[in-house]
Parts: sequence; C-alpha cells; structure tokens
Amino acid sequence: MGALTDKYCIVGVGETPQMRPSNRTTLSMACEAVTKAMMDAGLAASDIDGMTSYQVADSTSSAHVATALGLRLNYCLDIFGGGSSTEALVAHAIGLIEAGYAKTIVCFRSMNGRSGRRMGGQIPGGPIPVATAMDDNQFNMGWGWTTPAQRFGMSAMRYLRDTGCTTKAFAEIAVAHRYHASLNPKARLRSPITIDDHQRSRWVVKPFRLLDCCQETDVAAAIIVTSRERAYDLRHPPVFIMGGYARTMTEAPQWNYSRPVLHYVAGNYGWKRAFGMAGISHSDVDFVSCYDAFTFTTLIQLEANGFCGPGEAGEFVKGGRLQIDHELPSNLSGGHLSEGYTHGVQMVIENVRQLRHRADDACPEWREGRHTYDRSKGCRQVKNARICCGMAWGWENMASCLILRGIAA
Amino acid sequence: MPVTIDYSKLRIIPDPDTREWWDATRQHKYLVRRCNRCGHKWFPPNIPACSKCMSMEIGWFETAGKGVIHSYVVVVQPIVGAFVGAVPYVVAVIELDDCKEEDGSVTRVAGVLTNDETEVAIGLPCEVLFEATNDPKIVMPRWRVSGSAENTWKFSE
Ligand SMILES: [Zn+2]
Repeated sequence: MGALTDKYCIVGVGETPQMRPSNRTTLSMACEAVTKAMMDAGLAASDIDGMTSYQVADSTSSAHVATALGLRLNYCLDIFGGGSSTEALVAHAIGLIEAGYAKTIVCFRSMNGRSGRRMGGQIPGGPIPVATAMDDNQFNMGWGWTTPAQRFGMSAMRYLRDTGCTTKAFAEIAVAHRYHASLNPKARLRSPITIDDHQRSRWVVKPFRLLDCCQETDVAAAIIVTSRERAYDLRHPPVFIMGGYARTMTEAPQWNYSRPVLHYVAGNYGWKRAFGMAGISHSDVDFVSCYDAFTFTTLIQLEANGFCGPGEAGEFVKGGRLQIDHELPSNLSGGHLSEGYTHGVQMVIENVRQLRHRADDACPEWREGRHTYDRSKGCRQVKNARICCGMAWGWENMASCLILRGIAA
Repeated sequence: MPVTIDYSKLRIIPDPDTREWWDATRQHKYLVRRCNRCGHKWFPPNIPACSKCMSMEIGWFETAGKGVIHSYVVVVQPIVGAFVGAVPYVVAVIELDDCKEEDGSVTRVAGVLTNDETEVAIGLPCEVLFEATNDPKIVMPRWRVSGSAENTWKFSE
C-alpha cells in the first residue's frame, strides 16, 4: 500500500463541449472548464489555491486563467506534455498538498486541437506545403514519418507480426468505445459501428484505418484534487486516489527505435507499482479507461499493464469484452476515438462520474445517482462501479496510470 | 512504380551535433554514432551521449548501409507536402547488419523505401542509396529491398 493511498480525492470535474471549431481562445475555454469543475465540487474562489496545466506550446497558462477568474494562488505551474500528463499532475498535486504548498489544486488542459495546433502537424488547408526539419525532426520528417499515427503504426505493425493479432482486434476497441459514445450525449460521434465498418474505413497509414484514429477536438477540461478531509463536505461522494504511476518511461527514448521490443511500452514498467500502491489486483478492477489516441494504444496498454499476458491482447479484447456489461468496460464516455480528444483529461473525468454513480446519461435521475442500467434507454452507468484503473499514454516510451475508488455504488 | 519525393518542399536544418552526419551523406556514407570509450553504437546522431557508459566523448562508425526490415508502415494520407506525390509510400525501421553488439544490442535506423508496399515485408534485406535534393548541401538516404529471405512477414488487410 502507498503511504498516501485514499488520503486524496478528486472532488470536481468539468469541461467545455467537444467542439470543432470552437472559435474561442484557449483562455476562454479554460476559464469555462475550471469554473464548471469548481461548481461541480461546490468550491468557491477562495477555496482554490493551486492550479496546474499541461500543453505543447499551444495554450494559455495557469496564471492567466487564475487571474481572469480572480483566484489568488499559492502555487501555479504549466508543464510541457500531452497524453500521460493528467495523471502525473494528479500525483504532483498530492505531493504539493501533502507538503503544504497548497490545499486544493485544479489541473486543466485547454486546446484547439482541431482548429489550432493539430498533433499530427496538419494545417487547415491540408499537407504542410514546405516543411522545415530541425532537431529530432531531421531524422523523421525527411522520411515522411512525423505524425503520431505514422510513428505508433511502426510498433503496431511489429506487434501484429510478433503476436499474430490482426486489425480485427483494433476494430473491437473502436466498436466498444463507439458503443459507449452512443450512450453519452456529449460525444461527437454517437452512431454505433460494427467490426465491418471499421474494416471498410479508409486507410490513414497502414496498419491504421480512419476508425483507428481519435477525434481531433477543440476543448478544455479540468479536475480538482484535494485532501479527503476537505472532500467529505463537498457536493459529491468522494472519489479516492488509490495509486498510480506518473510518466513512467522505458529505458530508451521514443526516438531510439533500437529498443529490444518496439512494442514493449512504458506501462510494463509501472503497473506493479500502481497496483501495489493501491493494494489491489487486476480482478478487483470494475472498469478501465485506456488512452485511445488510436485503437492500438488501448490494446497495447491493456497488455502492458498486466490485464493479459504478452501477446494476448488481441484475444483478450475479442467478443466485445471491453463493452459495458461485459468483462472489462473501457472508456465509458467513448474516449478519444468517439467522444473527443482532450489529451487524457476526459478519461479521468468519466471515471470520476462513474465512481460517483453519476454518469451524465439519459437517465432522468442520474444527478441523484439513480440509473436504469437500460442501455436501450441510454444509460451508460456501470453497475457496482467501485474501482477503476485509468491507463494513459504519452508515446511508447512514456505512460501514466491512476487507480481510483468510489463509495457511491 | 518508384516512389518519388519532392525535396523542394523540405528544408533540413543541421545542428552542431548532426552537421558531420549530413556532410557524410553528401559523400554517400551512412554513419551512426559510436562511443569512443565503450564502442556502443546508436542512431539518430543528435543524441549526444552514450546511453551505456554516459560518455560524451563520441565519434562515428561508417556502416555498410545494409540491414533487415524490422517493421514498416505504409503512409496513405500524406502530411508533409514533399510526400504528397509519393503516397502510398513505405517507411521502414531497419536493423543494421554491422552494428550488432556482444550484449545483444542493435542499432536500428528509419528511412523511406524506394519500393512500393507490394515489394516490402518484415525480414527482407535492404540497402541504402543516396538521393540528391534541391539543396546542394543535403543528400538524403533512401533504402531499397536488396534480396529475398525466408520467414518474412507481410501485412495483410
Ligand atoms: Zn559508451
């Protein structure tokens, strides 16, 4: 068990709509997300004294957001990073609060991920007319190998070769996450899809088709971390932080393709620490979130985090096992593939809502924690949702995890 | 059909750690980094220290430019303008034949093949060639399949 297991809680969550385009600044969107998270928690401006965010030189800062909202902070920090940052900033917030630097910390991500800086490097008019390659890009842009899809495709292809897995396993993930999006009024893509729909979608970069790739989105999302003593009096049943790992790395960096096994990703190095800290085993986990920048990133992280053995993920996900009411529901909001792309915050938000037993679905009394569990009527609340394992992906070389526990079920 | 890249739409900016590498490609030499202390080799060359012994006293090893395809992707939707006319093109990670070390470590490099996807498979041997660009200071390495092999693996849709 960890020294701080269950001592800290996520007490507030909030986000803007998933937009494309937003026609808004990242500052405006961040202010909305932070305000909504505060209202969700029932916290006043005077209660918030810490703020952190992450970005890739594409967003506003904590100082701007706090100043705009009239929050006087004891701590602010903006880090460089994308996927795997949310969970790391939660770990960071625990340390800061424990040490007395702040009492209650908001973590946000605000991005015009579609209309502004796109992670794949595209510009609004299409391909980059004249590309300049410097630094690390000297050794990938010159061979037309720049985007996350192109980069992760390399380890995905080797995985298919090494394990005998096929792209039908990728399809299982696309189908499961889309099914969950169909139960989420906030999701961008809500029409259910089939394995065949996935297999017929156009190629982006083999082995990835269009339906293997996430939705670029303009969005801001925020979560609030505080100590359990403060959490008891707030609006919702507390969601306790049991354990995790924070931006754990492989021994060789992403840009070194000489790692012994290309698809032996960072989660392999982290999960024993996270589960040990939480004091649980995989069979205690009721549902997961698993960073789906691509279907493959979900697949490989289930394996990397020990939910199945090496090379077994393709079999593991077969037959709808990641769908709600099945063995291991994954990405209940629809994830990056179908709800929208928030660089990971949204998965933590959905996990919190599920563990509060207050998934914001079509059930008339979800705000009171009462659900029908009737999927045909749009309920997406997992029955008896008590423990969730959230697995996040930066690149092959970097990953985070957050194991959460709720008491509302 | 040969895969043609429009190098007029690509600018390469060498830096102090990579200038000698680009100087070498101009002379049709494919270099990887080598540690002067322990002999470990690696790529890409902008990594300025040896990950085995932490030495920053590093030099170069001129490879024969031959290796085996370790993995590949087929880019169908181009993102960089220089490659719009090249799709679908194959980017491969290639394990170099002459950089294997006693402890089992290998050096892999990446590059665009001149072959189209029908001719490519994991396990096939390949070799480097060099292409002039519009910038007289920059010569780009490319790779081509150079033979056959047993136990190759090909992506099937
Ligand atoms: Zn060395």
